[in-house]
Amino acid sequence: MIDLAALSSALDMLFSSAGPWLVVVPGILIGLVFGAIPGLQISMAMAIFLPVTLYLDFMQAMLFLTAIFTGGSFGGSIPAILMNIPGTSSAIATAFDGYPMSRNGDHNLALGVALGASCIGVIIGYSILFLLINPISQLVLRVGPAEMAAVILWGITLIGSLSSGSILKGLISGLAGLLVGTIGYSEAGVTRGTFGSPYLLDGVPVIPAMIGMFAASELFRLAKQDYLVEDRAARQVDVRRILAGFRRAIAKPWIVLRGSLIGVFVGSVPGVGSSVANLLSYMATQRGSDEPGSFGKGNPAGVVASESANSTSEAGSMATLLALGIPGGGATAVMLAAFAMHNITGGPQFIREQTDVVYAIIIANFGQAFLLIGLGLVFIPLLANVVKVPMTYLVPSVLSMAVFGAFGLTGDLSGPLTVLVFSLVGWVFRRYGYSVPAAVVGILLGGMAEDAIVYSYQISGGQWSYLLERPITLAILSLLAASLFGSKAVETLQRRTGR
Amino acid sequence: MRRNQGTYGRQRVADMAVLLMLAGLSALYCYDAVSASTHIYNLILVLPLTALVIAICMAQFVIILRDKAPPAEPAGRAAVAGPVMLLFAAYVLSLNWLGFDAGTCLFTGIFLYLQGERRWPWLIGYSVAFALLVTLFFRAMLPYPMPTLVLGLAQTGGPL
Repeated sequence: MIDLAALSSALDMLFSSAGPWLVVVPGILIGLVFGAIPGLQISMAMAIFLPVTLYLDFMQAMLFLTAIFTGGSFGGSIPAILMNIPGTSSAIATAFDGYPMSRNGDHNLALGVALGASCIGVIIGYSILFLLINPISQLVLRVGPAEMAAVILWGITLIGSLSSGSILKGLISGLAGLLVGTIGYSEAGVTRGTFGSPYLLDGVPVIPAMIGMFAASELFRLAKQDYLVEDRAARQVDVRRILAGFRRAIAKPWIVLRGSLIGVFVGSVPGVGSSVANLLSYMATQRGSDEPGSFGKGNPAGVVASESANSTSEAGSMATLLALGIPGGGATAVMLAAFAMHNITGGPQFIREQTDVVYAIIIANFGQAFLLIGLGLVFIPLLANVVKVPMTYLVPSVLSMAVFGAFGLTGDLSGPLTVLVFSLVGWVFRRYGYSVPAAVVGILLGGMAEDAIVYSYQISGGQWSYLLERPITLAILSLLAASLFGSKAVETLQRRTGR
Repeated sequence: MRRNQGTYGRQRVADMAVLLMLAGLSALYCYDAVSASTHIYNLILVLPLTALVIAICMAQFVIILRDKAPPAEPAGRAAVAGPVMLLFAAYVLSLNWLGFDAGTCLFTGIFLYLQGERRWPWLIGYSVAFALLVTLFFRAMLPYPMPTLVLGLAQTGGPL
């Protein structure tokens, strides 16, 4: 399975000189900064610095770009934990428990947990890639739109039913979010729900909507508080607590492993990637927990689940890029451009003929994970000081940054307007007990769900019997039904048996 | 006791109003989608989802109507959030003609004043410095023209 000659050549390529490693530290730092600032995306950082790779050899170029990817994957968790603003859509689930941990005074612990889970996730993810790059790429080809649609509907049902006090309100939030996610052009070539606004032709800008619902609506509520963390003693930046968080992540190997497996597999499905992987991992961890009610209130396991999956999905998307030559998302699309700039084409032939280069990229990522630990431990204490800033100053600053970030994402005022509208919606949702996470996930996945259902319809020719040929889809739909009606059915059965 | 019942009544009405609004907006969106095209690709998800949202809203509506227990206390006080929301809305809606620099400076300054900051050097200094730094940073990083008032007309920036 492992080509030892290629492995030896890869090690030689990486360690015969310091050259390949010189670009890694700047790459990780660029990724951390871009990930940590809402509105600046990892793919944006990679695109901005892509021309630099023209002056590097192919190996250095790959190391530089994957270092940005690695740093950015973790960087997105920092604003999610400290300000409830997921820097990227892959950090949504990190905010679910990371932000409540910060509010409880456990911001050091939460950041340490995120760093630990991210670094271990990268190592596990690339280990899986190292061993199974070919089987993974073949498996990816078996996942069809029917499976994707079923996973999305199951996910929305789970998040809706678990993240709100009322199951019905949670479901309404998730389903309404899905509807919002379908606004704009449809597969039929017409526009819906735009009500004449040109800003909505491409749909509701997802990340500005997410920033509005998660962060801005929460800041409205906190405007009269003195500090993000009320307890003065808990506001201290404590490297020991960060390290304790790091150890806490290591102490949850099963959650990390499950998140990593989900991350690698989902990350390798083109067009899905880390934005779905972190949610699936979070849901799986919540369902498997003895205390599902503690999730969303500051359970570190939620942060571990999310971060291990989103950092590992990088390895998954690299699998598809290297083995099939298909980019899974924006970041890997930039990498594909770097391939082209160096006259290299990804795909089975690339893996077969340049196995040593593939191995070198994978091994270099192990090194990046260890460098990220060091750089993260330097970077986190600086950023954790945000909890010492009085809310009087923090609220307008973060709201303004959200507006700038939203403008950066859309390139026009539709971004800031989306933040405004969804901050008001988010405030109403919070006030009346609707699930903000379910609504946000719905908005994120609405378009994807519709595409998947339309493609399934096209493939099946509208025949329901098609589903019978898709055992994975049937299994997921059964899980959906079980998560909705399972507990009720068990209760009824127990009552009858009791009689 | 009577006042409590009045408060509960108002909370219940507000809760039901939110449900009706969600059901109504879903129906309006579905109507717009049907008006645009009745092709199956256009309605394959929107139609069943809308029906489901309206059905669940109605179920929840009935639950609230029948529920005799006092409703849960709404999270967040409108008296606290209201002025902040209004100020934020004014900030966003004025960006097109105030620009990101002046808009951010005014928003930050007014917010600080409303929250009780009366140390004028702090208030003015922070508002100006913050607006200036953030505007310059984003203008340099983003490849789009950004509306600004004091820092000049829209310019295209970029680090490379």
